[in-house]
Amino acid sequence: MNTILKLFLLFIAATILHWALMAFMGGVGVSLNVMLVFAVAVCAYLKPEYGYALSFVCGLFLDFFSVKLFGCSALTLTLCAAAVYSLEKRLDFDGILPQMLCVFCLSLLAFLLNCLLLKVFAGFSAWRGFGSFAIGIILNAFLAPFIFRVVRFAFVRGNKSY
Amino acid sequence: MQRKTKRKNQISQISRRRKILPAVFVLLSLLLMILPLESPVASVKALLSYIFIPQIRLSHATLEYGDGVSRTIRELLDTHQENERLKAEMSQLRLQNAQAKEIFAQNERLTKALNIKSPRGWNGIWAKTAYREPTQWNSVIIDKGAAQGVQERAAAISLQEGQPILAGVVVETDENTAKVLLLQDEDFSAAVYTQESAEEGLLTGGGSAMLLMKYLPVLSKIKPGEKVYTSASSSIFPAGILVGEVDALETDESFSSAPFAYVKPQAQAPSVRELFILTRQENEGKK
Repeated sequence: MNTILKLFLLFIAATILHWALMAFMGGVGVSLNVMLVFAVAVCAYLKPEYGYALSFVCGLFLDFFSVKLFGCSALTLTLCAAAVYSLEKRLDFDGILPQMLCVFCLSLLAFLLNCLLLKVFAGFSAWRGFGSFAIGIILNAFLAPFIFRVVRFAFVRGNKSY
Repeated sequence: MQRKTKRKNQISQISRRRKILPAVFVLLSLLLMILPLESPVASVKALLSYIFIPQIRLSHATLEYGDGVSRTIRELLDTHQENERLKAEMSQLRLQNAQAKEIFAQNERLTKALNIKSPRGWNGIWAKTAYREPTQWNSVIIDKGAAQGVQERAAAISLQEGQPILAGVVVETDENTAKVLLLQDEDFSAAVYTQESAEEGLLTGGGSAMLLMKYLPVLSKIKPGEKVYTSASSSIFPAGILVGEVDALETDESFSSAPFAYVKPQAQAPSVRELFILTRQENEGKK
């Protein structure tokens, strides 16, 4: 119960941060995705029951604003969660570099998958130039250590995770 | 031995759960994508709106508060200078107002004499861009919704150096928010005309930086640089709103398809921050 409450509060904080950064970055054409970084961080420290459910909800939150296709981000973030759980034994998510590398690769894959799904299901091209794409992914990677630290602080006591 | 078996069972249960969970969520997402946006998905969205809208309002209010604090401090620092400037502006405006009154009276006399239907002013509300979807730049969410009088298919206009320019159209409304489809989107369309050659066409979003003006006459005389405005034949937009300027005309040598023009929009998607949403009375009024 405690974990669910903490997750809920962190989810609200993540949506506020996402909203704030998008309001600022959206104006200059940068595709920053705080919800993806948050979902990856939760998956890195929490059990799959929580990780998958939260990734799906984060995806639905992003889909809620979309006018073209509903469920696209939910699918992308669920697949990202699956990728994190399959990598958890090979990567040490306590290190800053693995965190950044993981978020960088997953942001890249999520963006490309999003573009592909939008093209296939809605016939819509989401590609807005290499600049927007690259800056968004790099900023996601730089944001990762901060969000991972917050999630780790909330859920990990010593070496024990929930 | 028993403990070992129990442990084994637990591990196999966890690994089964690890396989089932993503499969369930992937299937659910695919189902949401495949279903038509209107009926079942609209119900899911309506349900989610009860969860996400309060959050969105909280996020937006937090941002507005932060922005308000910094703006108030800035304004306090600039008050004296602004006061002086406004005083000068006011005396200038008083002069212009007196002249305008005379012009309005003259206009009314002439309108009556020539039996012309006078156009009505625009009614609407100002809204701020509250959110942009990270992968879809062609739509924005504004901080005003049905409760403030925003309705679907309402025109969204932005101001650039005091001139109204076409920004998009409202496609979805919630109680306190609404989604605006910007004119760069492929699903956007509006009847427009060019200023100098006075040719009408259908403007659609190009999905990128350029818009397309379609269904032009075969021997079109449109030239690059011509201003493009909304036409009176548009069912949603009032006539005479600046859309952009012609960038190039594409003609088919064999005349097998109608020529079309590339139009550079005046309102760039990332720079749309404040929008004037026309209310229903206005849309009816313009007709």
